[in-house]
Amino acid sequence: MNLAVEMSQISKRYGDVQALDSVSLRVEKGTIHALVGENGAGKTTLMKALYGAMSADSGSVSINGEPVTLKTSREAIAKGIGMVSQHYGIIGELTNLENLILGAENGSILTPVQNQQRAQDLAERMGFQFDWNAESSTLSPAGGQKLEILKLLWRNSQIMILDEPTAMLSPQDSDALYASLKQLAQQGTTIIVVTHRLPEVFEHCKRVTVVRGGRHIADHEVTEVSANQLAEEIVGGSVIERPTPVSNSQPTDSLEVRDLEVKGDKGQIAVKSISFALKKGQLVGIAGVDGNGQRELFHAIIGHAKPLSGILTVEGSDWTQTSIADRIIAGLRVIPEDRHHEGVIEDWSLFENASLGLQRLPEFSDISAGQQELGPTMAEKFSTKHGGLNQPMSSLSGGNQQRFVAGRALQVAPNLILAFQPARGLDLNSTTKVYQEIRRRCDEGATAIIVSFDLDELLDFCDRILVMNHGEMFEPKPEEARDRAAIGRLMVGAG
Amino acid sequence: MIDLFKQCVTMSIPLVLIALAGFFSERGGVINIGLEGKTLLACFFSVAFSSKFGPIPGLALTIVATSLVSLIHWLLTQVYRMDHIISGMAINLLAAGATSFFKFKFAADGLEDAAVPPKMLLYALGIVAPAAIWWMSNKTRFGLQHRSAGSDPDKARLLGINPQNIRFSALIGTGVLCALAGSLLIAETPQFTDGMTSGRGYIALAALILGGWRPVNAALACLLFGAASALQIQYNGQYIPSEAWKSLPYLVTLFAIAGFLGRNRTPAGLGKP
Repeated sequence: MNLAVEMSQISKRYGDVQALDSVSLRVEKGTIHALVGENGAGKTTLMKALYGAMSADSGSVSINGEPVTLKTSREAIAKGIGMVSQHYGIIGELTNLENLILGAENGSILTPVQNQQRAQDLAERMGFQFDWNAESSTLSPAGGQKLEILKLLWRNSQIMILDEPTAMLSPQDSDALYASLKQLAQQGTTIIVVTHRLPEVFEHCKRVTVVRGGRHIADHEVTEVSANQLAEEIVGGSVIERPTPVSNSQPTDSLEVRDLEVKGDKGQIAVKSISFALKKGQLVGIAGVDGNGQRELFHAIIGHAKPLSGILTVEGSDWTQTSIADRIIAGLRVIPEDRHHEGVIEDWSLFENASLGLQRLPEFSDISAGQQELGPTMAEKFSTKHGGLNQPMSSLSGGNQQRFVAGRALQVAPNLILAFQPARGLDLNSTTKVYQEIRRRCDEGATAIIVSFDLDELLDFCDRILVMNHGEMFEPKPEEARDRAAIGRLMVGAG
Repeated sequence: MIDLFKQCVTMSIPLVLIALAGFFSERGGVINIGLEGKTLLACFFSVAFSSKFGPIPGLALTIVATSLVSLIHWLLTQVYRMDHIISGMAINLLAAGATSFFKFKFAADGLEDAAVPPKMLLYALGIVAPAAIWWMSNKTRFGLQHRSAGSDPDKARLLGINPQNIRFSALIGTGVLCALAGSLLIAETPQFTDGMTSGRGYIALAALILGGWRPVNAALACLLFGAASALQIQYNGQYIPSEAWKSLPYLVTLFAIAGFLGRNRTPAGLGKP
């Protein structure tokens, strides 16, 4: 076997947490290799060691059979290694073209015309489209992901590390992405994909490595392993039984939206005269491809975006003009899309983050007492792994931050739960737990709205599914309410 | 009218140089409240070195010395990770105290004509500098990496860029431009007086902010402030009380910053390690 990457006995400890315990990884040249595992299993840490973004305590790395030391990203880049991290490396203040070439300029004086030509060629090869001179802050998450991949191509990376590349992509975009990755692999590029999505592993990858709890568990040829076996190796035990969603909805109205119109960040009408009504106790999923107005609807219900027109009522009281603070007091709880920017303050401790957003509730009338009392339960709710609640939020991995944010949203008397991709960065087990807790709260009388781009997840957990397409809201016919194909058609506007 | 125009140029160009000095450090991520002190030290160096070694060597030595001072700022903020504002203020206080203490040692009565820094050269540099620095910032590798270090040093690091190194060069740029500004002030008034920069460092910083941390816009903002100062000098005591004239440049600054800033363009990585 011709190995492009050979990492052996890599160990790394962060404070009390042994993030990696002599993990080894062997990747064959010119293949797509999947690295799978739960959150906090050490996948990202291992990849950071390969990319020189983190120096391991012990272990060795060989690239194309030659031992190397990768102390900085610069050294890794020089060896042809490129990484797209889960937290995008795109700088919003620069233009798309500048982001593309940053760190890999072809001379001390820039040549924008030639650069743009080459950028355009690369984009066309991948089937992507960009406005090169627009500021990158205007990119959607999917656009950012695409630009990241182009950045690797720009650098002629021979070894590409993609951390959850399809997390924010629509199914079509994901397929297009893997098609391009396969093409790259055929040309000799080695691709390591860190992922939670087993269907992707089976459809697109050649080999798969499983890590769990910082340890190496198994290596397989994808053709020689079953999905059940892989899932078992990932979670290290039996997967929680998925409940069939049962609605305990009550006759009382909860959220009602009438003729709501909301403007998007590019000035377009993102939500077009939407009306729907939810009952108390419902767990409602909003399906749809990314960028069809879900984000704007979500922000309007939170109170973060001002609707152009329309009415929002909750249990009969008009919320249209209500401040965010009053909505939270009335029981609005949010698991935001982007935990980094909307969910946590990374420099703050977990204790401090526990009260973030909830500080006006009576539970936090004595703020530090409230933090001391509720912080631990929020962390335990979804088994957040942390090195002490007085540690800064930045010391947690992305998935653990998500667990904490979900725990916080569901802890104190939720009445209307809004969750945008609550499973983002979570493994199957934690995802199930989060949904079970949302369900429990709904049974107690809360109402939940989940926006997710993963239709299967919504079908698994929600008792009612609405679909957004081009800013409009659709509801499948009652006889097709659980029909995946019918909902899929509504998502792409073919209903 | 011609006088007014001349006055406007005289008042604006030093501001332009200082604002661009601020551009070098702030767009690269180093908050620079120390422009005032660096420029004041540059004035002092200019008098001291020009009186001893003549105008051109004096200018060269001023540039070297001011750059070294600017590198102290780099050392404090980038190596010892000191607070940017506090270290900037320290430089201001040090500059005010040290120049006041040492000023009688060198040319206390002012420079001889032969030793005055080359005024026209400095004005010319002040006029081409905004365009040159715009070109540097937008069309060169250094400029792009410089902006990335000021926008998001962590992401820049992941791309193999070393923000600390970029800022080292940037703060040398700050030192050079402060040296030019200080020499220009001395070329106009060839004698060192305490606090002779009279707040130009802060006004230039305001111009930089008003210009959205972009070199040409910052220079235009300096022209606005310079024009206000020129009006004040030209018409002081006429029409309205002289106190009102004196406060004009500051009022313009205040209104400009408060009212017309529009979109916030602060480099996102300003002050981050």
